Amino acid sequence: MDYPRAQTDELKPYCTKLSLFTEGGVPFFSLEGLRLPESCEPQVCDALLCPVTRDNYPSRLYLSVKVKSHYDRNWNCENARIGEKNWFAFSWKVEGADLTLAQVLMAHLLGFTKEK
Amino acid sequence: MDNPDFTRSGAEAGTPAHGGPHTTTYHVHIDGHEVAVHEQHPTGDALLALSDRKPCAFELIAEFKHRENDVIEPNETVDLADRNLKRFITAHKEIVTITIEGSPYTIERGKRTVAEILDKVGKTPDTYALLEEKDGPPLPLPANQPVDIQGCEVFHYQVQSGGSS
Repeated sequence: MDYPRAQTDELKPYCTKLSLFTEGGVPFFSLEGLRLPESCEPQVCDALLCPVTRDNYPSRLYLSVKVKSHYDRNWNCENARIGEKNWFAFSWKVEGADLTLAQVLMAHLLGFTKEK
Repeated sequence: MDNPDFTRSGAEAGTPAHGGPHTTTYHVHIDGHEVAVHEQHPTGDALLALSDRKPCAFELIAEFKHRENDVIEPNETVDLADRNLKRFITAHKEIVTITIEGSPYTIERGKRTVAEILDKVGKTPDTYALLEEKDGPPLPLPANQPVDIQGCEVFHYQVQSGGSS
């Protein structure tokens, strides 16, 4: 699946290296060195953004570690094996049909900065 | 203590060379540091920039020998040849300027709530998340934590489009 160049360019400032791969027909944006909100620990980690429906979520953000924040999250995905690495994800549903990739990413990061 | 050397006229400090255009360098003190200014009538903004200050957070104050101090507005010019001019100091503003989605807004310096900041653009934290652009791309701020406003902060907002499930 092709994504608009403008949208992928918007993702680049959030990480040190951006790439796209597919696994099992599912696209994943690899965001190495993703910057997380200041309230997070750690403040940087690797991540995968899956911008399509997966595991009954419209999109998903996988992280290389369980990130700590002000809010307890339901990490209902642990050690998911994608791209020969293990990943973690918390239960967070991002709705909205016309969101850009950066807006989808931001909506997932909001999971660290708001209660519900 | 008065120091007449804080500004010097072209005869004392100018550096015209080879009969070229008359250029005068003024040596002014800003917060105790001497800086060289190559024009007679710089703006307050230009002088602030020489001291690595921005008008969104700081104001420039001119001190004179025989009259009261004067706050120099960013677009206001100063005559550096004025013999009564002693020096400049900068002061952190109490009412500073922040930027939200590219537009400037004034706000009181100090700890402000996310709701106060979003209110500047008629939004509420119930519907919108506040993002701050600081040394990188915009990242969301916790809605329940105060934001330390010092001036010049750059904010964005985004619809609250995610939730726990």
